[in-house]
Amino acid sequence: MTSLRSTTILFALAACLGSCNGTSEYPEVEPPEPTLRRLTQAQYANTVADLLGPTVVLPTRLEPDSAADGYLTVGAAVTTISPRGAELYEDAAYSLASQAMADTAVRDAIVPCAPSATVDADCAGQFVESFGYKAWRRHVTDDEAERLVAIAGTSATALDDFHEGLGFAMAAILQSPNFLFRAELGEPDPGDPGRTRFTDYEMASRLSYFLWNTTPDDTLLAAAEAGELTTIEGLTEHAERMLADPLARRGLREFYKEQLFLYKLDELSKDPLVYTHMSEDIGPAAQEETLRLFERIVFDDNADYRTIFTTRQTSIDRTLAAIYNVPAPEREGFGLTELPGDGERVGVLGQVSVLALHSHAVSSSATLRGIFVRETLLCQPIPLPPSNANTAIPEATGETPTLRDRVHQHLTDPGCASCHDLTDHIGLGFEHFDGIGRYRTTDNDYPIDATGEFDGRPWQTFPELAEQIATHPDVPYCFTNHMFRYANGHSPELGEMDGVRDLEARFVKSKHSVTSLVLDLIVSPAYRQTAPVDTAAEPSNE
Amino acid sequence: MNRRGLDRRMLLRGLLAGTAISIGLPPLEAFFNTSGTAYADGSQLPRRFGIFYWGNGVVPSHWVPTGEGTGSDWQLSSLMEPLTAVKEDICVVTGMEVKVPNTAPHLSGAAGILSGSPLLVVGEDETFSAPSIDQVIAQQVGGETRFRSLEFGAAARSGLSFNGPNNKNPPEISPILLFERIFGEGFRAPGDESIVDPTLALRRSVLDSVMDDASALRTRVGATDKARLDQHFDGIRELELRLARMEEDPPDLAACLAPEPPDGDYPDIDGRPQISAKNRAMCDLMAMAMACDQTRVASNFITYPVNNELFPGISAGHHNLTHDEVGDQPEVREIVRMILGEYAYMIEAMRSINEGDGNLLDNSIVLGTTDVSLGRVHDLTEFPIILAGGGCGAIKTDFHYRSTTAENTTKVLLTLIRSMGINMTGFGDDDAYTEDSLGEILV
Repeated sequence: MTSLRSTTILFALAACLGSCNGTSEYPEVEPPEPTLRRLTQAQYANTVADLLGPTVVLPTRLEPDSAADGYLTVGAAVTTISPRGAELYEDAAYSLASQAMADTAVRDAIVPCAPSATVDADCAGQFVESFGYKAWRRHVTDDEAERLVAIAGTSATALDDFHEGLGFAMAAILQSPNFLFRAELGEPDPGDPGRTRFTDYEMASRLSYFLWNTTPDDTLLAAAEAGELTTIEGLTEHAERMLADPLARRGLREFYKEQLFLYKLDELSKDPLVYTHMSEDIGPAAQEETLRLFERIVFDDNADYRTIFTTRQTSIDRTLAAIYNVPAPEREGFGLTELPGDGERVGVLGQVSVLALHSHAVSSSATLRGIFVRETLLCQPIPLPPSNANTAIPEATGETPTLRDRVHQHLTDPGCASCHDLTDHIGLGFEHFDGIGRYRTTDNDYPIDATGEFDGRPWQTFPELAEQIATHPDVPYCFTNHMFRYANGHSPELGEMDGVRDLEARFVKSKHSVTSLVLDLIVSPAYRQTAPVDTAAEPSNE
Repeated sequence: MNRRGLDRRMLLRGLLAGTAISIGLPPLEAFFNTSGTAYADGSQLPRRFGIFYWGNGVVPSHWVPTGEGTGSDWQLSSLMEPLTAVKEDICVVTGMEVKVPNTAPHLSGAAGILSGSPLLVVGEDETFSAPSIDQVIAQQVGGETRFRSLEFGAAARSGLSFNGPNNKNPPEISPILLFERIFGEGFRAPGDESIVDPTLALRRSVLDSVMDDASALRTRVGATDKARLDQHFDGIRELELRLARMEEDPPDLAACLAPEPPDGDYPDIDGRPQISAKNRAMCDLMAMAMACDQTRVASNFITYPVNNELFPGISAGHHNLTHDEVGDQPEVREIVRMILGEYAYMIEAMRSINEGDGNLLDNSIVLGTTDVSLGRVHDLTEFPIILAGGGCGAIKTDFHYRSTTAENTTKVLLTLIRSMGINMTGFGDDDAYTEDSLGEILV
């Protein structure tokens, strides 16, 4: 499964690092001060399911996620909890607590003792310590435990029921910022007092949300307790164990979903008069197709990441098969199929997800597709147009029937061309796919010219363009940068760039193995170190 | 923050910076001394503030009313015809300009007209740099009601109500969920018994514990996270006040009648959302929420900046049309007229509720606006502003004021804030900052 190769690399790496005494072969990094990361909606749901088991009905309405640097997980490090969010978290906490206490199977799994009376501080204390430990991803302090036990006692007295009272302590744990935020704040590194490292428990939380998108399991918490996660050997062992678990598929799917903004497909909006194939099933199906491709390349094949741009194999359902004009591989659900070898459609860039997201509601868009390639795949920022720019392109007329004709002004007006030269040529290479991703040969009845030149390299067909993107020298760096962003909850800063470049080099050396990159990242200082928190600093008044 | 004259958070910070302080509730009496019979005195009827906000602007060439002044001295423009029935209750302000730097299409204008401050752009992500006007007002007047503020909108997406940078109040987009939130569990009509429920006090003690956790965590984090925790703390504290309020007698308000739940989910029809039907159901709920004094601040974000909603009978999405439709954009104008028809419904819903000698609208001020004037070029001059309701006689109605000097739109915001009885030296930031009201629209 997860590749003999990466395992071998790991053992070699671990052995080397062991003998090289720590992290000496990684470049120095200067990380920024750590910040609290709020659980995303998906993380909240996964966490609660892990804490209470699969029978619990999860709350569907929580504080919405918002993206930063393209990532919900980065947004979670800057957004706060609104008053409405606090209200929703309160509702969620009581819903969960009452379900847990009413269902004896759930209750017995989380309450480690039988009460001797309506008020039983000892048993309440045992619950608070065990459940609080899991929910807060660290031990509950004596003060905290005392406060929570007092709530349980007062509530049990008022309601004349031990477990109902305990539900209020549970609700307090689930509404606490210690649960809703991941506090990964670091400690002085005992081996090197000049450095700040994440603690063992913080590393457990970091690993678990990175790889599984959920709270640490008992094994990981035990490893933290034993001090294993601040050593290279321990980290490697646990990261490997976690990557081999099916939950890692869920975790890395989330990463790719955020990298390609696939979460926006949930709200895909197309004009049904223009796109008669449009239905509300398309967005979710397109997202699933792309995530299955990523999952297969990373886990099933441990293939070169860049094959994601060139493969003709894909998993589709009937909805997508209709758009691709190929037989559906399965009557129900998704199945693997090989797209025609002589066709234009190839790789992730030929999938409905990418094609439909980077289009308008009524038309394709050379500019949006070009921006996606430059910014998301190559990490080359494109400046925004001046906000008073007239961004309308001319109507299709007899003289300018195709999109290529209509974007001519972008590419001839010097004010527009400085940026549109970077984007529109690439985007016009996608013109054989309309705004929802259907293949076409004409635009307004005129033949489409989708040839072009990409940074000096000409292409004739879409598969050639895809190949050029796949082999572009900025692709490995950009993918590494994305992985860093997702894992650390912030975009790399100047002091971290050496670390990112080093990881890029390792990624290239591993023949672009995503699992190798994940493992290299986890043991690198860029993931394990942080800067000391200036706890004396107060928010400014302005 | 000092400049804006807001010091509530400073106070909170002061409380939190100390050690081992237990933060209890302020005396409840302070919040209820205006309830019940006090409302019989018309002068004490609460003032309400509302926002009606739509995305993507107007077509300025068809926007400006003819004539200026009061009554028959001015006539609605063709775009404003749907407001004919409420002309006597609105105040149109034209010719003004949003003065914040126009760095991001649509959202710069939204930040300017709703917060008077520039948009904060970090990478690809955009946030208001200061609280929106509804929250500035809610901070002052919202504490007396069950909901400090309500946000909703038929196609609101994430809305534009900001407590501060990166902290939005998510709006309700479903009529049935808006109903449940206001009139479901926890709502009591006038004359109902106060709720005797031991769990209310228990829930408050749980929130105390959560606030203790926030205070403890606050000592371990840096400045930015302290500000984030302060906002979480604010939200928790507001919840605690709401629970406390449920244990008191409901206010005695003649016009308050618990409404029927809205029917159904209003699913899309042929791929087109039922914006009008949803909006009307939610406006009815909002008006009754105000009549029952469940809130005094409500924002209706009917559509969002850059939204591409498909309106009935229109050939393409709204945003695409603003850029792609040629000439004087008849389809975009039709959309604007539909949206203003929805604004007229909201105004009428408020007007239909009798209160004292007049109606709910008389005691309210609604700011109707959008994010640009001409969508095609994201223009911030000739900015669309239609106020509704007199704010207890503070603001002129059936009035058109035309600025000939492209005055700062923040002057309107400061006028509204002051009309709500809030003393504020100045409002906004940078070029959009002002210390002046727009005297011409004051009674």
